[in-house]
Amino acid sequence: MKKYLLASIIVCFLFPGWVLAAPKGKLTIAQGTDLTSLDPARHGTTSEMNYDNAVFDKLYIFDVQGNPVPRLAVSHKMINPTTWEFKLRRGIKFHNGDPVTATDVKFSIEHYLDPKTKSPFASFFKIIKEVKIIDDYTIQVTTDKSDPLLQKRFAFQIFILPSKYVKEKGYEHFLKQPIGCGPFKFVEWVRADRLVLEAYEDYWAGPPLIKTVVFRPIPEDTTRLAELQTGMVDIIVNIPPFLVNQLKGQPGIDVQSVPSGRVILLYINTLAPGPLQDKRVRQALNYAVDKKTIIDKVLMGSGFQMAINVPPYDFGYDPALKPYSYDPEKAKKLLAEAGYKDLKVVLNSPSGRYVMDKQVAEAIAGMYEKVGIKVDFKIREWGDYVKDLLGKKLVDTGLIGSGLVMYDADGRLSLYFIKDSAFCYYADPEIEKWIIEARYSMEDKIRKELYSRISKKIFEEAPFVFLYQQQDHWGVSKKVKDFQARGDELFYLYRVSVEK
Amino acid sequence: MGAYIVRRFLQSLIVILGVIVITFIISRVIGDPVALLLPPEASPEQRAYLTKDLGLDRPLYLQLVVYVGKVMKGDFGHSFRHQESAMKLVWERLPASLYLSFVAVLFAIGVAIPLGIISAIKRGTIIDRIGMTLALFGQSIPAFWAGIMLIFIFAVQLGWLPPSGYGGFKYVILPATTLAFFVSAATARLTRSNVLDALDMDYVRYARLKGVPEFVVITRHVLRNTFITIFNIVALQLGLVIGGAVITEFIFSWPGIGRLSLESIYSRDYPVIQATVVIAALIFVVINLLVDIVYIATDPRVKKN
Amino acid sequence: MFNKTSADLSSVESPEDSRGSEQRLKLRKLSRRIPKGAASIILVLLLCAFFSPWLAPHNPIEQNLGAALKPPFWQGGGTMDHLLGTDNLGRDILSRIIYGARISVIVGFVGVLLAGAVGTLLGIIAGYFGGKIDAVIMRLTDIMLSLPFILIGIAIIGAIGPSLTNVVIVLGITQWVGYTRIIRFEAMSLSKSEFIEMAIISGCKWWRVLLVHILPNVLNSAVVLATLDVGKMIIIEAAFSFLGLGVKPPTATWGGMLADGRLYMTVAWWTVTFPGLAIFATVLAGNLIGDWLRDELDPRHQLKV
Repeated sequence: MKKYLLASIIVCFLFPGWVLAAPKGKLTIAQGTDLTSLDPARHGTTSEMNYDNAVFDKLYIFDVQGNPVPRLAVSHKMINPTTWEFKLRRGIKFHNGDPVTATDVKFSIEHYLDPKTKSPFASFFKIIKEVKIIDDYTIQVTTDKSDPLLQKRFAFQIFILPSKYVKEKGYEHFLKQPIGCGPFKFVEWVRADRLVLEAYEDYWAGPPLIKTVVFRPIPEDTTRLAELQTGMVDIIVNIPPFLVNQLKGQPGIDVQSVPSGRVILLYINTLAPGPLQDKRVRQALNYAVDKKTIIDKVLMGSGFQMAINVPPYDFGYDPALKPYSYDPEKAKKLLAEAGYKDLKVVLNSPSGRYVMDKQVAEAIAGMYEKVGIKVDFKIREWGDYVKDLLGKKLVDTGLIGSGLVMYDADGRLSLYFIKDSAFCYYADPEIEKWIIEARYSMEDKIRKELYSRISKKIFEEAPFVFLYQQQDHWGVSKKVKDFQARGDELFYLYRVSVEK
Repeated sequence: MGAYIVRRFLQSLIVILGVIVITFIISRVIGDPVALLLPPEASPEQRAYLTKDLGLDRPLYLQLVVYVGKVMKGDFGHSFRHQESAMKLVWERLPASLYLSFVAVLFAIGVAIPLGIISAIKRGTIIDRIGMTLALFGQSIPAFWAGIMLIFIFAVQLGWLPPSGYGGFKYVILPATTLAFFVSAATARLTRSNVLDALDMDYVRYARLKGVPEFVVITRHVLRNTFITIFNIVALQLGLVIGGAVITEFIFSWPGIGRLSLESIYSRDYPVIQATVVIAALIFVVINLLVDIVYIATDPRVKKN
Repeated sequence: MFNKTSADLSSVESPEDSRGSEQRLKLRKLSRRIPKGAASIILVLLLCAFFSPWLAPHNPIEQNLGAALKPPFWQGGGTMDHLLGTDNLGRDILSRIIYGARISVIVGFVGVLLAGAVGTLLGIIAGYFGGKIDAVIMRLTDIMLSLPFILIGIAIIGAIGPSLTNVVIVLGITQWVGYTRIIRFEAMSLSKSEFIEMAIISGCKWWRVLLVHILPNVLNSAVVLATLDVGKMIIIEAAFSFLGLGVKPPTATWGGMLADGRLYMTVAWWTVTFPGLAIFATVLAGNLIGDWLRDELDPRHQLKV
């Protein structure tokens, strides 16, 4: 008898998965939009990626500080600056029992790179030239140029897909009955209504703690909130700031607030001839905005002032740089110096695209009027606005935001300062040169120094009106344990549990 | 009569064709789907590839011709955004919209027609005033506001009904009521005025003079004659509501074609925009046609010159 | 004109003739029997619209972020400075409602004028000529009704920018269909009446018949429809604001206030309730006047007081 007891204790320590409680309960999550398909490679929004995180796994994932942490990969080694070797974890199975091997990793990377897949993030991976299988659990990735960001890329995307399943049953079948190697299995998807997942008991790190997960797409903010308040839904995303205080008092609901990776700013079109090509005018536009009051009064405190458009999450963020102060007198002086005492400016803003976007823009318009700038305020419908933005037809200024992608300044800066980026309204060859240099440098120290130089120049030149970093609020029922809201709008449900 | 039906049928086809072409043109005018399908970081090569892949690089008239040709064969193309054929997406969501619309119209006529009749009979009294003011109330609140208020009162405060979603009967009550507000307001008022007109007719006066009890007068004479017009009105409302419950479906996360059309307009998903509009138009035109045929068949006074 | 034709005829007086001749008598008695409540609401509305700078206590677009979301004066935290409280940017709600009357007046009246003019014109043409012209116009109506107004709204406003003028244009373009059907029906029955036939026989050209004989007689119905539509226009503007297509901020519109305020509804009820009441009152008044006009101008109802 004692022998059996000892044996069972040993077994329990060796195989904790057997001892952990069976998954139980149901977790319902309400986001704003639905999936467009069940293929992770086609997903472009964070709400879709949250489904991907549950059903699939990546080689790496980001921890909350933005460092890539091994997941399906266990180690990486640089063979030479353009070749990396990755070793894969053994014993991982897809939901149908097939083992996860190097073949699947190569298949998945190529799937993302294939133009026919039309992956929105394909351009992030075009630096990859070739993927070679060394053995069942080792691959080598060759890049065009030296890439300091390769692990971060794999932490951002490339969910590992089942090559054998797709080849045998066909891609069309995979779209209807997807399988991955993540902690949850796909059960059903009723478009625009709900997506249902259930626990995968043979997950390599042990079964998850929840039995059933339901995603519900609820586009209207107030309706989402009502669902949380009535207990029909356990987690909601994007609570508007002024409702947060109301929820804080409500029993049974917790509000988790995290600094977001999303940064809001005003574009300035410096490519079209006009007063906005004068640095002093742009600086004046910065000095005229009372960021603190906007954050306190319009955003109800949900925001953090920014010096430039790179938030603390990104590698390359320079904490030494301080934001533009609120100085309306200086703004007026700069305008007068530049000879534009009666400046007329168009201010475009989307409505409902970002939290309180229209209200923030309205407040800024009011502040500009106070320093003598006449503002022509235009609310733009999003599709229309993007059309103008991409066609370089944006007039004067516009409110825009950029989200967290790879926790690295390269993404933010390339978007706005590389000439052939669709979103570039500011031309500075020196900044461009530095950005490219930093992008391919393998030394963290060199990159940091370059980004510091770039940041200072950007601050000085004021190609944007820098505003704030958002703060996201998540509504979480007290029934839910160990849920962690993150700044990149993603969540991982593996360790989350629901009590009755 | 037969010739008339054939004529109207052919005309309906022309209407559908007109809708297809106009929707096509309007969709193309309003913006670039590629811009919305790709993240801001996408490269110019990606955008060019997608544009070509979606067939958007060809001249407009060519796209139109190809498109109309495909539609004739029943192919509405593939959604830009979803990996699914546009028509399949619409078909999937149609039952939800039909369900919502029918329930809404049922609610509406269940309330509105009795209200209209009673108000007409008791014309000028306080009952009439209250009835018509209630009907007015329905007409003077925007749908989005009514919906949000209903959710707030009945779901959050009272907890009687779920705030949103698709499922059993309790899920359809609030959205149907929201939709029913406007429909019943219009129906009540039109019923009232039609019944009033009927009450003034000679045959009613004659029946009363003959000593026929009032109740019979109302049910047999008045209602029978107003039935056609009311049927006309209700059918038209139904036709409008099926495709037009956009805001209500949005607020209640109801998976119908109204919400699909809104999402597709925002994301410039042309094939889906076109598919939803054409299907909604088809339904409307068919209902219209049926109503007209029924009208002509039963009311020979109204014939064309 | 009517007197001349009816005096020439010794035939039986048809209802249309008696309607024409009695009309002028009634115009004199109108002013005595206007529903007082409704008329005073409209009066207040017009006063607010025209005299807003003098009536409003504050500048409606002046922001005061420090005084955001203050409740009305009778609640704790409210001040006499802002009788009805402030919105999320600290703007005075009462002032915004007063200035908002301007937009409502323009949207309501001009929108209705535009839609009514187009719809009535098309209606009388369709009703009088019948045949192919009627069919074309009716099918055009069907096409318009089948196209979702949101799509048209986004297309037009996306192309020419959001502004009051453009919103009114969109309203005119989409709302005329409501008039056409009903006016057409009336015009059709009018066209068969004897005095029209006499006018044609006596050499009246078609456009004269239309404008001089038919139009004034359908004007009653058109006016009634118009007054009933005023509220609808305001509601549609609210829906546009909800979708981000409305009159651009910081201009105050009742619909825009409702759309913006819905987010704050649970913490600041005054941001939606007062604009909502303003809309309701206006729609109510418009409809009461419309009803009253219809009752007054229709001779058949004269027999029952």
